Amino acid sequence: MKIPSLLATVTSVMLAGGAFASDDPIRIGVPVGLSGANSVVAPSVVQSAELAVEQINAAGGVLGRPMELVIADDASGAAGAQKAFDSLVFQKEVDVLISMETSAARNAGLPIVSRGQVPYIYTSFYEGRSCNPYLFVNAWVPEQQVPPIVDYLNAEGAKKYFLIGSDYSFGRGMLEFARSYVESTGGEIVGEEYLPMDGSDWTAIISKLKASGAEALITSTAGGAPNVTLTKQMRGAGVDLPYANLAVDEGTAKNMGADAAGILISASYVTGIDSAENKAFLDAMKAKFGDDLRTPNDLSVPQYEAVYLYKAAIEKAGCTDARAVLDALDEVSFTGPRGTIQMSKQHHAPLTMYLGQVQDDGSVKVVGTFKDVDPGEQCPKL
Amino acid sequence: MTLLLDIVTTAAILFIVSAGLLAIFGVLEIVNFAHGAWLTVGAYCAVVAGGLGLNPWLALPMAFVTGAVLGGVTERLIVRPLYARPLDAILATWGLGIVIGQLITLWFGRDVHFTENLLSGTIHVLGTSYSLYRIFALAAAVVIGLGFAFLLEGTRLGLSARAIIMNESLARALGLDTTRIRLVTFMIGTGLTALAGVLLTPLTSVDPTMGVAWLIGSFMLVMVAGSSFGALAVACLVFGGAQVLVSTFISPILGGITVAVLSALVLRISSKGFARV
Repeated sequence: MKIPSLLATVTSVMLAGGAFASDDPIRIGVPVGLSGANSVVAPSVVQSAELAVEQINAAGGVLGRPMELVIADDASGAAGAQKAFDSLVFQKEVDVLISMETSAARNAGLPIVSRGQVPYIYTSFYEGRSCNPYLFVNAWVPEQQVPPIVDYLNAEGAKKYFLIGSDYSFGRGMLEFARSYVESTGGEIVGEEYLPMDGSDWTAIISKLKASGAEALITSTAGGAPNVTLTKQMRGAGVDLPYANLAVDEGTAKNMGADAAGILISASYVTGIDSAENKAFLDAMKAKFGDDLRTPNDLSVPQYEAVYLYKAAIEKAGCTDARAVLDALDEVSFTGPRGTIQMSKQHHAPLTMYLGQVQDDGSVKVVGTFKDVDPGEQCPKL
Repeated sequence: MTLLLDIVTTAAILFIVSAGLLAIFGVLEIVNFAHGAWLTVGAYCAVVAGGLGLNPWLALPMAFVTGAVLGGVTERLIVRPLYARPLDAILATWGLGIVIGQLITLWFGRDVHFTENLLSGTIHVLGTSYSLYRIFALAAAVVIGLGFAFLLEGTRLGLSARAIIMNESLARALGLDTTRIRLVTFMIGTGLTALAGVLLTPLTSVDPTMGVAWLIGSFMLVMVAGSSFGALAVACLVFGGAQVLVSTFISPILGGITVAVLSALVLRISSKGFARV
C-alpha cells in the first residue's frame, strides 16, 4: 500500500452501485501517525478503517448516506496533531474523529476537539484517565491489561517482581499501576528501573535485575527498538525469569525469534481469537489487501470496531448531530473481532483480555482468557 | 565481580563503536558525522546476510567490504574537496548520514529488523555467569586495538599515516602519495565502523536510526582521545566505567548522559583531553 504522505489525503470511497439517498457523505477524520514513531503501525490502522467503511457502504451506508475517510498525518506528536486536528475539524469539517494516536498527539488534539465540538473515538490503548465530554475510548487501560498478567504470575508462585521501563508517560504509568496492583495482591517489588526512550545500553539494569532475587519481570518500554534491545541484552545475559512484556505486540514477538520465547503478553486482540466474527474479519482483510495486508493487531482492530460503533450511534440518534451522537455512543454496542464492545463505563469499554505466551516457533498461544475486564474508575465526573 | 565485567565490556563496546571514527579523525582531521549511518549500514549487512541464509559470521567481512567500498566512494566524491574546510565537512557528512538513513528506510522500510545472534548463552567467569557475547566483544575490542597498533607501528601505511599526522606538507614534499593514503585511511575507518555495526546487532535492534544513539557518545570519546588509540582505550574505560557506576548506584537515566558530561568537563580542563596518555 502506498502511504498517503500529504497532510490530508481524501481516501476514495467505494460506492457500491451508488444507490444512496443523499450524495453527501458522512466524513470520518482519521488523524494518525503516518510518519514518526507510529509509522510502523499506522498503515494497519488505516487499512482496517478502510475495510470498515467499504463494508458499511457496500451494505447501503448509514441512514442512506455513504461514509468517507479523511486521513491526516499527525507525525506521531503534539505539533503535528495540532495541525492535523485543526485541518480536519475546521477545514474538512468532518463529522467525527476516529483514530489510534500517541498520548502526546491525543492530548494536543483534545482542546481542538472541544472547540470544534466533534465526537472523538480514541482507539489506542493508553495510560488511562483522559477525560473529555467529546472523547470515547474503546481500547484498554492499565486496569485492564495488568491484572491478568499479575494474577497469572502470582498463580505460578512469583512473589518478588522487578519492573523495567522506558522513561515516558506510558512506560511510567503502566508500571506505576503494576506496582500498586502487585503490592495489593501480596507481592513485593524488588526493583524498578527506567532508561530514556533513546537509550540502548541496559547493562547496569540487567545486572541489578540478576542480583535482585526477583522471581518475575514486568517490562513496559516504548514499542519497537527499546523493547528489542532490552530483550536481546537480557537473553544474552542469561535472564530466564517469567517475563511479561506490556509493550510487545504479536507481530514483533514473532519476528524476534528465539529471544521472545516464553514472553507473556496481554492484549484485547490476538489473531488467534476463535470466533466467527474474527474469522470473517481476517478473511475480508486478506481479500481486500492481499499481499499488502499489514497483520491486524491490538491497535488496528479497535479502529475497525470504532467505525461500526459510530455507525450504530448515528443509527440510534437518527442523525449525525454531534450532541445526539455523543448521547448514543455509550448506549450502542458492536460485536466484532474482539467480541461485543460497548463504551459504557465512563466513556471507556469493558474488554475481554487475552493472556498469550510466545512459543518457541514464534506463535502466540493463548494461556488465559479474562472475560469483560472492567476499566475501573477512569472518568468519574463524566 | 559483575560490576567489573560490566565496566570492561561496556568500555569494549564503546571502543569497538568509536574506533572507526578515531581512525578517520586521527589521520584526516575530519569529523565523520556519517558515523552513525555507517554503523547502520553494517547492521543491515547482517540483515541481508541473514536473508540470504548465510552464516551470521560472514556478515563481518561482508560489512567491512561494503563499508570500505561505500566509504571509498564517499571520500572521492564528498569528503576529498573538504579536507581544508573541516566545518563544511561536518555539515556534509551529517547530511550524508541523513541521506543514507533515508535510503535504508526506502529500501528496508522503517520496521525493526532481526538478525541471528552471533553467540548466545552465558559463560562462567570469575565466579559469576556472564553473557558470552559481551566477553567476546571484549576480545574483539582487544583484537581491533592491537590490529590498529600493528597497522600504525608495523606497516608502511602506518608509517605514512603517522607522517601525515605530524606534518602533511613535509610528508607530501618527501614524495608520499597523501591522496591515496587519505583514501585508504577513510576506507579502513568506514569499513571498521560497518564491522562494528554487525558486532552491535546482538545487543540492539536493527532499524534505520539505530546509529544515531551511538554517534554522540563516540564523537565525545574521540574528541577526548584525539588521534591516539591508547587514549581512546583509556577514555572508554574511564567514561564507560563511570557510566556503569552512575547507572548502577545513582540512576540509569543519568548514566545515559555520563559520557557526554564527563567529556565536556575533561575538554574544559584540558583541551587535549586524554591525548597525552
